[in-house]
Amino acid sequence: MNFISLFANDFQAVFPELFLVTATIVLLVYGIVLSTSNRYDYPILIGNVSWLAIFSLGFAFLLLISDPFKNSILFYNSLLIDPFASFLKGLIILCSICAILMSLDYLKQKSFHAFEYVILILFSTCSMLIMVSAYDFLSMYLAIELQSLCFYVLAASKRSSEFSTEAGLKYFILSAFASGIILFGCSMIYGLTGITNFGELVIFFTGNAAIPFHLSSGILLGILFISVGLLFKLTAAPFHMWAPDVYEGSPTPVTAFFAIVPKLAILGLFIRFLLFSCYDLMNVCQSIIIFCSLASMMIGALAALSQKRIKRMLAFSSIGHIGYILMGFACGTIDGMQSLLLYMVIYSFMTIGAFAVVLSLQHQSPSMKYIEDFTMLGKMNPIIAVTMSMILFSMAGIPPLAGFFAKYYIFLAAIESGWYWLATIGVLTSVISCFYYIRIMKIMYFEKRKGWIYTQGVDREKSVILAMTLFFLCFFFFVPSPLLVMTHKIALAFCV
Amino acid sequence: MIKTSLTKKEILFMWNDSLLVFLLMFPLLGAALVFFLPFSYVRSTALSVSLINFIASLFLWIQFDHSTPQFQFVTKITWLPISNLHIYMGIDGISLFFVILSTFLVPICILVGWVSIQTYVREYVIAFLILESCMIAVFCMLDLLLFYVFFESVLIPMFLIIGIWGSRERKIRAAYQFFLYTLFGSVLMLLAIILIYFQTGTTDLQVLYTTSFSEKRQILLWLAFFASFAVKVPMVPVHIWLPEAHVEAPTSGSVILAGVLLKLGTYGFLRFSIPMFPEASLYFTPLIYTMSIIAVIYASLTTIRQIDLKKVIAYSSVAHMAFVTIGLFSLNVQGIEGSILLMLSHGLVSSALFLCVGCLYDRHKTRLIPYYGACVHTMPIFSVIFLFFTLGNLSLPGTSSFVGEFLILVGAFQNNTLITTLAATGMVLGAAYSLWLYNRVVFGNFKPNFINVYSDCNRREVFMFLPLIIAVLWMGIYPEVFLDPMHCSVANVIQHGNFN
Repeated sequence: MNFISLFANDFQAVFPELFLVTATIVLLVYGIVLSTSNRYDYPILIGNVSWLAIFSLGFAFLLLISDPFKNSILFYNSLLIDPFASFLKGLIILCSICAILMSLDYLKQKSFHAFEYVILILFSTCSMLIMVSAYDFLSMYLAIELQSLCFYVLAASKRSSEFSTEAGLKYFILSAFASGIILFGCSMIYGLTGITNFGELVIFFTGNAAIPFHLSSGILLGILFISVGLLFKLTAAPFHMWAPDVYEGSPTPVTAFFAIVPKLAILGLFIRFLLFSCYDLMNVCQSIIIFCSLASMMIGALAALSQKRIKRMLAFSSIGHIGYILMGFACGTIDGMQSLLLYMVIYSFMTIGAFAVVLSLQHQSPSMKYIEDFTMLGKMNPIIAVTMSMILFSMAGIPPLAGFFAKYYIFLAAIESGWYWLATIGVLTSVISCFYYIRIMKIMYFEKRKGWIYTQGVDREKSVILAMTLFFLCFFFFVPSPLLVMTHKIALAFCV
Repeated sequence: MIKTSLTKKEILFMWNDSLLVFLLMFPLLGAALVFFLPFSYVRSTALSVSLINFIASLFLWIQFDHSTPQFQFVTKITWLPISNLHIYMGIDGISLFFVILSTFLVPICILVGWVSIQTYVREYVIAFLILESCMIAVFCMLDLLLFYVFFESVLIPMFLIIGIWGSRERKIRAAYQFFLYTLFGSVLMLLAIILIYFQTGTTDLQVLYTTSFSEKRQILLWLAFFASFAVKVPMVPVHIWLPEAHVEAPTSGSVILAGVLLKLGTYGFLRFSIPMFPEASLYFTPLIYTMSIIAVIYASLTTIRQIDLKKVIAYSSVAHMAFVTIGLFSLNVQGIEGSILLMLSHGLVSSALFLCVGCLYDRHKTRLIPYYGACVHTMPIFSVIFLFFTLGNLSLPGTSSFVGEFLILVGAFQNNTLITTLAATGMVLGAAYSLWLYNRVVFGNFKPNFINVYSDCNRREVFMFLPLIIAVLWMGIYPEVFLDPMHCSVANVIQHGNFN
């Protein structure tokens, strides 16, 4: 029995990942060979490679949705495929496609000629796909590391900018530290229980009274460490210090990528770890999550109030959104799970839209860094202004836009689990966060400035993305059931 | 046998069944149409869309069955079966006239902006058409969550209307205040709705009417709803946003704000707080009475010392709406019917007064009273119209407000004579500020540096005022047409709460 036949079916089940890895390597080779070729006069391949990458991601998505393997555990219990993982994978791939599409114009505009940028995004997407279906501490940690490594490079990719370098450095140091914490947590649990597999952990933890007392504190410490590490990567509040700096320093398309895709993957992993493996210790872990949720909501609402730069503001706003997501997480119920998934989908759409707007404004000659630069956008480019204001209203959770339903279901889940005060604080912070969302609108429509800024049109890719997000946000109200039913089914499948 | 053609009756039934959907969707379709039309058709298309919608809404009144408290024109659309949420619409005697009032005022708003709105015209009419659709939806939703959704979604167009087409720099602050006050109030209501949802498993209003909540919970829920409705009404401590929003809004914004949006809060009290939480309503009646009396007297006194035309009318709205809350919480048929009538009448009269101020502002670009005087020489027709509505505002017998206020006082008298006496002082004060305002603007000497050009109302403006005048007189002279459809529904509310 040789190696291949041992895993024969397993390889079929990870076909999307396999395809994506292969495609990435082929693209890397293609890019390197061609871009260093004298015969073609050292062509700039970034656009070419980006489009190929988008096609391969699209193909991977098709492979994913046509995958016959709905539930399986692979590779000696190190990977798991279930509807939850597939759903998140689909979302991750879609968001990556959007992130690359959004950056095409930016790369051309800023003469950003390194095609490795796209390769790194592809690699990190692969790693996130693996992360979502990780079923073992080992595969989990390796996936996290692969993803983080790609991100360090991405954050520092604009070498001419000091901010980018600083962002990369900060992100590297802090994130490596967090990875260390995760690793320490894993090793503690492994050391005390001899288990690295999630499925076995479930069996071990079932009825937590069975855990001997002298072990339980150590195990709890392990869980705490892993949670802290993951919360760090999720930019949840007490561990959020790096996020605004990194978001601001990194090139904007990279920020867009950071703000959307890794959150999905890390949340998937976090849910898998806490709600699946440690569900019987949930009452212990819950307090950590609730604290982080509370802190994130408050910091997201209050700190963003005083921001002057648009990317920093979006960073704090995303911290706030993570707070709401964690509120759904803290419930640990099917409804909580459903609301969380719904929120993640809608959050991704809103963030994609917001960053597409920022990116489409940023390729003007004096690039838009400050919120003040949005002045008179309502006159200069009314359609972008309307789109942005709908996205912001949606982020603020004003009905009938999609963002309202996301928040509504989160509060529903929180009240169902009896967290009345948490829901109340969530509601109040969402009112506070309205301040800064409508402040941008105020600047876009009501404020005057001396000169005009001549805007170029938005390129086709971003306009398509913007149109689609706007359509989704505005018309979600009319047909909400498909997404809700889908998330509900996935939550049920996960919790059973 | 297969029927090939529909009888007349069947067509009528189909029309009735889909009438509310039509009323909701038609302005939205109109807004979509306006978006793509060339500029020169924008205003006329929007006007005709809103007029057609108004005429369609009159069918509600014509087809309305007076003899039943049940919801009519009920339409149920499956929307979110997994959460037991359905788009569930219907009209009863309470909401009938509010729908008509909304459709009645929107064409007038579009007409107001015909000349004075020169920037973002397309967006202006789109905002109003979307707003119209939201307002109709608020009044005919029979689902608590969807009511909330539309109650809130009014914010988006209104925020933009105040902010973009408002007249001064302060408008931004006004738009902010409007937005945040309303939002802050209503999010607590959202939590209450979720709580209700978990107790009953539904947010269907008709089911909720048959549910009884424990008294402790009623009090909690009532307070959460109160937080939202009191801001909208506006009750006195949280009324600050109203004068700001009114003063800074464009004329049409004020018309909608005074005409319809202020009614959302009182409508909410009547539709949700009183029938769903009867015990809590009784428990809190003294609170409402006190707040309303303070509002009546305080707002009337504040009105007297204002020098901004719009602020005067805005504060008088606060006083009138306080009357409405007194009527609602007197919890008997006269009081509630009177307050509905006063809401409608206030929707007509104070909208008309804002239109009058708009007329003045369009000509002279100021709203400060000291600059005005002797308008009777330069604007005679306007002076007559303004006088008519001023008298309407101080509830002269024969105008609509009189019937409303009289019924309210009758209703309140059965409960509490002290309150009635205090509220009646509001009528005196109302007369004081209304007449004094009229004196200062219309009579007196010329102020030759400011107002000395003959510029009376043009035909468009007269046509704008005409329907309002007719409606006010009609309601004042023959209120039975308006009272008749609401008898059953109001009696049902009272019987349901065992208030007798």
